Amino acid sequence: MVNAIETNGLTRKFGERVAVDKLDLAIPQGKVFGFLGPNGAGKTTTVRMLAALIAPTAGSATVNGHEVGREDTAIRRSVGILTETPGLYDRLTAHQNLVFFAQLYEVPEKRAIGRADYYLRALGLEERRNDKVGGFSKGMRQKLALARAVMHEPAVVFLDEPTAGLDPEASRTVRQFVKELRSEGRTIFLTTHNLPEADELCDLIGVFQIRLLQIGTPAHLRSLLFGRGTVIKTEGDASRWASVATALPFVRQATAQDGILSVTLDDPDAQNPALVHALVAAGASIRYVEPMAHSLEDVYLELLDEKNMG
Amino acid sequence: MDKAPNKVVLILRKEWLELRQQRVLLLGMLAPPLIFAVMPLAFASFAGQNLMEEDANMPNLNDLIKLNPALEGMGPLELGQTLITQQFSILFLLLPVILPSVIASYSIIGEKTSRTLEPVLATPVSTRELLLAKCLIGVVPSVLITWLVATIFAIGLSFVAVSPRVLEAIISPGWVLVLLLCAPLLCLITVAATVAISSRVSDPRTAQQISVVLIIPIMGLFFGQLTGLLILSPILAVIGAIILALLAAASLWIASALFQRETILTRWS
Repeated sequence: MVNAIETNGLTRKFGERVAVDKLDLAIPQGKVFGFLGPNGAGKTTTVRMLAALIAPTAGSATVNGHEVGREDTAIRRSVGILTETPGLYDRLTAHQNLVFFAQLYEVPEKRAIGRADYYLRALGLEERRNDKVGGFSKGMRQKLALARAVMHEPAVVFLDEPTAGLDPEASRTVRQFVKELRSEGRTIFLTTHNLPEADELCDLIGVFQIRLLQIGTPAHLRSLLFGRGTVIKTEGDASRWASVATALPFVRQATAQDGILSVTLDDPDAQNPALVHALVAAGASIRYVEPMAHSLEDVYLELLDEKNMG
Repeated sequence: MDKAPNKVVLILRKEWLELRQQRVLLLGMLAPPLIFAVMPLAFASFAGQNLMEEDANMPNLNDLIKLNPALEGMGPLELGQTLITQQFSILFLLLPVILPSVIASYSIIGEKTSRTLEPVLATPVSTRELLLAKCLIGVVPSVLITWLVATIFAIGLSFVAVSPRVLEAIISPGWVLVLLLCAPLLCLITVAATVAISSRVSDPRTAQQISVVLIIPIMGLFFGQLTGLLILSPILAVIGAIILALLAAASLWIASALFQRETILTRWS
């Protein structure tokens, strides 16, 4: 598969301070990549480098096959960016804002007008088409900025915190729009603090704090950090069944809390029958069995903890 | 074929759309030219009717006549009207400083405070095109307004001047050259200074206040003429234009060095 974004040892320093350290990424075309990290981790700096807004101090990167630092204008033509703040012209109407930016991206006027109408409709802003942006709510501004990012039909879209500070309805519209962009085959580079959102939208996730701590699919990251497992709800106190489970040779770990037995296994699909059989044989009365689910938040915090502990 | 428009034209169009909606800004742009057109004419008219003969016989006036050959042979009323109105004619050079400082500070700092610079810089527009558009939006209307007001002044003066000699002495080749050559250069320097100031301040009014420091040399010219030390001759106008051209080149070089994507995004406070 062709990579839309590739970086090799991408580094950016501001004076002595390292903002991004030896970042290696390979993001295939058409995927949604979630770039997670705390405030000040260097996410915006990374996006700015990849969008050819600022130059790397060391390392290299290609976006849509164009090399950062050598083919910056070509990169800017082929990427769309939703910046941290919407940055819209308050005295212009929603439509004027979109058409102006589309034309800066070299979209001819007639086509720009058509696309502006299309995206205003897609994001539920068609009734505010001719209203000045100064009177727009935060959610409306964010949606408009999102439309602006794709007015020139870019192959790669950088979205910096697209749902930050939005109400649930506006957030859902934005998420739906991101899914539509993915279904059109665009590559999306999404920086977010909203972990359930990343879990919902992203094919690939990178946890980042100045350097890349881990990268993989959400499922891969979960299994990498926590292994896979099974949750068993038993009648009464579950703690006495933990020792039964631990005695089984294929069980890596078993803990009990509040009537719930959590068992870590290498291959739950194959090992669950034997586990359940052993528990029932020992006298356990089982109410339900389900796969153990770690949230992306657990994964994220675990990775940052590991990093902070050295 | 539907063609993508020139980006400089596109930015100018957008700037104009924004500009015409800012009433306070427009008022700030139109009030000084109106004052500058009406005030000198009012003084010229007053001087042409009320100057006393004894005022024209003062010894320092005789010194001024020696320094400025255009005044030779003038009668007392002509002399009085010429001397008073000439001082005001220099004030027209304040417009190329005041007007672009108002427009450019709103145009550049406005983009900075509304955080529209990053999305604009993310497009394929070059910083040269962006800077050129910002310069043009500051320079073109300011120069046109200055020239328009100066023309109104010249036409008005032709009605209130007590004789054609007064008109020739005030609307002199030196004055015309100064307006034609120095006004656009002063506008350029002001816009370049505003770009430089914009990298450090985040309030358009502060930028305006700092950039109008450029008024000081013009006031020097005003007082120079008032005391008779400077006579606005064509040679002086050309020398002034050469000096201003050098200053404009230097200030534009500094402005373009500051107006880079990297610098704007990482260093502009």
